[in-house]
Amino acid sequence: MVELVIKDLVAGYGNVSVLHNVSIDVPEGNTVALLGTNGNGKSTLMKCVAGLIKPTSGTIRLIDEGNEIDLASCSPKEIVSHGIAMVPEGRRLFPLLTVEENLYLGAYRKEARDKIDESMAFCFELFPRLEERRTQKAGSMSGGEQQMLAVARALMSAPKMLLIDEPSVGLAPILVSQMIEKIGELSSSRGLTILMAEQNFNQAIKIADRGYIIVHGEIAFASKDADDLRDNDMVKSYYLGT
Amino acid sequence: MEFTELLLNAIVAGILLGGFFAALSIGLSICFGLLDTVNIAHPTIIVGAAFCTFLLNDLLGIDPILAGLILTPVFFILGLAIYSMYYQFFEKQSAEALRGLAFFFGLLFIAEVLMIMAFGVDHRLVSAPYIGNSFTTALAGMEFSIPYRLLAAFVVASAMTVGLQVYLSKSFFGRATSAVHQDGMALSLMGVDPVMVKRIAFALGLATCGLAGALMIIVIPIEPAVGRFFIGNVFAIVVLGGLGSISGTLVAAFILGIAESVVSTFFGPSWAPAVSFAILLGVLAFKPTGLFGSGDTR
Repeated sequence: MVELVIKDLVAGYGNVSVLHNVSIDVPEGNTVALLGTNGNGKSTLMKCVAGLIKPTSGTIRLIDEGNEIDLASCSPKEIVSHGIAMVPEGRRLFPLLTVEENLYLGAYRKEARDKIDESMAFCFELFPRLEERRTQKAGSMSGGEQQMLAVARALMSAPKMLLIDEPSVGLAPILVSQMIEKIGELSSSRGLTILMAEQNFNQAIKIADRGYIIVHGEIAFASKDADDLRDNDMVKSYYLGT
Repeated sequence: MEFTELLLNAIVAGILLGGFFAALSIGLSICFGLLDTVNIAHPTIIVGAAFCTFLLNDLLGIDPILAGLILTPVFFILGLAIYSMYYQFFEKQSAEALRGLAFFFGLLFIAEVLMIMAFGVDHRLVSAPYIGNSFTTALAGMEFSIPYRLLAAFVVASAMTVGLQVYLSKSFFGRATSAVHQDGMALSLMGVDPVMVKRIAFALGLATCGLAGALMIIVIPIEPAVGRFFIGNVFAIVVLGGLGSISGTLVAAFILGIAESVVSTFFGPSWAPAVSFAILLGVLAFKPTGLFGSGDTR
């Protein structure tokens, strides 16, 4: 199991700084929710961890059984090889490839190729719908099915940690809660460490072990545990409407 | 000869010609169909390979097919170099395919002028045991005559194109090649460097020019500007087959090969290109993505 520790992260696009000294801890085997509405820097943070954006300063450390790796200096390829998989915002599937081909591509890294049959069986068990659709083009499926495929494709790389950016976007409410439950199952059954960015607070706090609220690129609230997150006045008043 | 005999002979020759067309087009199908680099210089690069084959054959007496195999890795490396240059000056700055077209147009003219300076404008041939003879057989009271040169080109072309098609559809790298134009960023999240995939796939497309050039000089006498006559053919085949579909390219190559052969036999060779493009327009009118295109009209 792995732990992710982000400390004093500053990042942005060009001259525009989006994240200001963000510090986040994702303990081993935990599901941590990164909460915030649109435009507060959730996706920027996720992209920094995946290596798609180079941070200006700060550290992103992955602690894998005592070994420390500084992800801030790694390429996206190296980050994948350290066992981190990302489900990007908007799913980013390969629309003209079939479900199966999308899954195969998920297992591109060397360590994942050896386990490809096992991983695919696991994905089909988790999302039986994908097995029914295995020869269908990804772009022709419904939003819910596409989100399943996006999560499954990330799992194909046999990751130790999963970054999930807004799994609820564009899904019907019933599908949102199903998807969130599946993500919750993943951390308990596979021991995955999960960092999930989400703006649907009600759903996210159902499975989160702890949470952070990010406002204008700064951590406005860091919870100690799940209860702490649910009982917080700021969460209640701003985001839960009670 | 009777009509049926003539027609069947034309069809057999057309199938062989189709194999040759497939060898000319498959590299472009990768570069243009999968990677969206409009490599209009593709046929001219094939002519370059044909001249290299000519040199190897003329000076060292190497069999043209063997020469093609020797040239394949050379053209792979040339492909790496061309793509690196194209990426540095064009793709990195803007994704516009049209500006890239200017780059490849320039490449076409430079390559052509270099060949004219080196070889002049005379037609060149190679010599090999299978060039110049025909294989004649009688079947069901009809006589079939197949030039060995077309047969040799067909066998080599089939091995190359089918092999490449299987490799691209079954391997991890092949799948990454078909995915890279759809979403390069998503590919990097799978631990694949999209620029590297494009560079190698483009080089693979150019590597096919090595062997295709050898086949070209086996089939027809060549001169530096002969590539221009094939620009229409190869682009028509890739578009007819459907952008992004390698197997579609192979099917389209045979359709145009047979059509050209039949039309040349009955109406004269000057009608052949017109019929090719009529087929292309006819198919595009009913299926804008080409025969096996995947719905991505870009």
